[in-house]
Amino acid sequence: MTFEMRRRELLKSVLAGAALSAVGPLRGVAQAAGETVAWLTWENLAKDDYLAALVEKTGIKIEKSFIGSDDEQFAKLRAGGASSVDLITPGLDKVEFYVASNLLQPLDLAKIPNAAKLYDTFKTTKLGKKDGKTYGIPFYWGINPIVYRADLMDAEPDWSVFFEGEKYKGKLAMRDYALEGIMIAAMYLGIPKDKMFDLGDKELAEVKKALIAQKKLLRTYWTSIGDLTNLYASGEVVCAFSWVPPYYDLTARGLKMGMAKPKAGVIGWCDTIAIPAGVTGAKLDATLKVVDYLLGPDYGKKLAFGGPYAQSTSATRDALPVDQQEKIFIKDLSVMDSFVWKANPPRYTEWVALWNEVKAS
Amino acid sequence: MATDSDRGGRLALPVVLVLVAGCALPLAVLFVFSFFQVDFVAILKVPTLKNYIKVASSPTYRSLIGQAIASGLTVAAISAVIGYPLAWVIAKRVHFMKSACLTLLLIPLYTGDLVRIFAWRVVLGAEGVINAFLMWAGLVREPIRALLFSPFATHVVLTYDYLPFMVLGLWLAFESLDDHLLEAARDLGASEATIFRRIVLPLTSPGLIAGGMMVFVLVVGDYLTPQLIGGSSGVTVISAINDLFGTAFDWPLGSAIASSLLLILGVLIAAAALVVGRSTWGRAVVGGE
Repeated sequence: MTFEMRRRELLKSVLAGAALSAVGPLRGVAQAAGETVAWLTWENLAKDDYLAALVEKTGIKIEKSFIGSDDEQFAKLRAGGASSVDLITPGLDKVEFYVASNLLQPLDLAKIPNAAKLYDTFKTTKLGKKDGKTYGIPFYWGINPIVYRADLMDAEPDWSVFFEGEKYKGKLAMRDYALEGIMIAAMYLGIPKDKMFDLGDKELAEVKKALIAQKKLLRTYWTSIGDLTNLYASGEVVCAFSWVPPYYDLTARGLKMGMAKPKAGVIGWCDTIAIPAGVTGAKLDATLKVVDYLLGPDYGKKLAFGGPYAQSTSATRDALPVDQQEKIFIKDLSVMDSFVWKANPPRYTEWVALWNEVKAS
Repeated sequence: MATDSDRGGRLALPVVLVLVAGCALPLAVLFVFSFFQVDFVAILKVPTLKNYIKVASSPTYRSLIGQAIASGLTVAAISAVIGYPLAWVIAKRVHFMKSACLTLLLIPLYTGDLVRIFAWRVVLGAEGVINAFLMWAGLVREPIRALLFSPFATHVVLTYDYLPFMVLGLWLAFESLDDHLLEAARDLGASEATIFRRIVLPLTSPGLIAGGMMVFVLVVGDYLTPQLIGGSSGVTVISAINDLFGTAFDWPLGSAIASSLLLILGVLIAAAALVVGRSTWGRAVVGGE
């Protein structure tokens, strides 16, 4: 009897163990379910339908708050806002700011299986890393090209249109951003990519001279992409260093738009996802699941059509139609070789001072 | 037993605390930061005057501060010229629908900066209302592009934005101006010019000064309008400070420029108060002499 009881108990235990093993993979889900992950990001990246599959599969809730600029995000975290967020979206070139301020924790890539699918460019980049550890994992990327009114320009422009000639004087616009403004002047002047972020006094003086000449040709410096889209639509501006969205938005509205990717180089950008230093325990597990989802196929597909933007991983590439691959620059990945990825110049304060001197000239 | 004065003091305490915590303290922090240095993303809390030397020796920052003050004075002056007769009409000549007139005056303030700015773009743009009319009337062949994205456009929009602050102050001053004084002056043979110079202007000058100060300070602090309407010449000292706090992470230099601007504004306002206080009509206004 006693033996039978023990045997029954043993059987129960074995069955229970087997059952637990069978649902093992779901244990993480059970732990993560109900967790709320606070994500500080750009508004267009956290649409409900982009995140629906995550919520359905894991039960994790996403609490969204939005940034207007990378600088604003950094300032918020520096001022003590890190405790209120679990996931942030810094630019790849800005991650070192956060790391130097001890605001981030290294990511456990073993818990982010989709990280293995990162494109080589993002796997090998030194940006976002310190001492071999990844702090900001490349998340999505794109280029900032020249967008122009093809109906109002004779030919596809290159960077020289912003520095030479009178034909489009007063109809050009440049983004009000020191880093990109100086990068473009450097590309126009033929300064090689590997020296672009480490300009000496002589090069900076040449850049300043070129930018002062550029200012005379500009209608304005734009500060928001919605504003630039309006400027194209109203004909105030016919050509600008831009982001991609006005090209698609205005083409969809029937305007003949063009997008130029100058041979001298195109500015590539990449945003990362990173976890603040104070996130631990079950919250950290849930946040890592969100990170993995954001690098995975469900999210990638939504982003490819909704953005349209490319993920930093190949998770969804082959499932996309070729024209969509073309649209987000992943059909021919060798195109990335011509990109100049934004980095953080050591003398950036001087770059900003120079930019202000140009604007005030 | 508590006196009225004690009770008054206690009642004022929360207001004083709010003023200290909400106004003086942040400014004090800003001022303290202006003596620090920045090394990449670390603020080095070793006191130095380097930031102030940088501001004083930089033609760019000096010129931006000068431009901000010049813009403030220009817009305050234009607002005064437009606002003075407008306030007089509303206070003394409008007898019906006076509230409606004031509401009409304030409507632009209900809409928000951006709406006002984009509305002005529709008016002043190359394909805007004014250019469309001029071309339709055959007065010009090409749109006048300088109507928008120019210092002219910036000052037009700034005047439009801040005119209500000038008119409100002046309207209150005109409302409290006793018409019997004007009648008495006329009875005594004073000319209209003398009445204006000796009675109307001194008695409405508190409204003029208050409105002028308000417009001046608001214009100096506005960077959105110059940025979105001023075109490539739309840089302001405030946008430069914004760049230093944001993009460049040079909070100390940004703080030094902001503190310098505050100091210069304080000195200007104190000098203006001194000049006004020494004039006869100023003493009349301030001291009731």
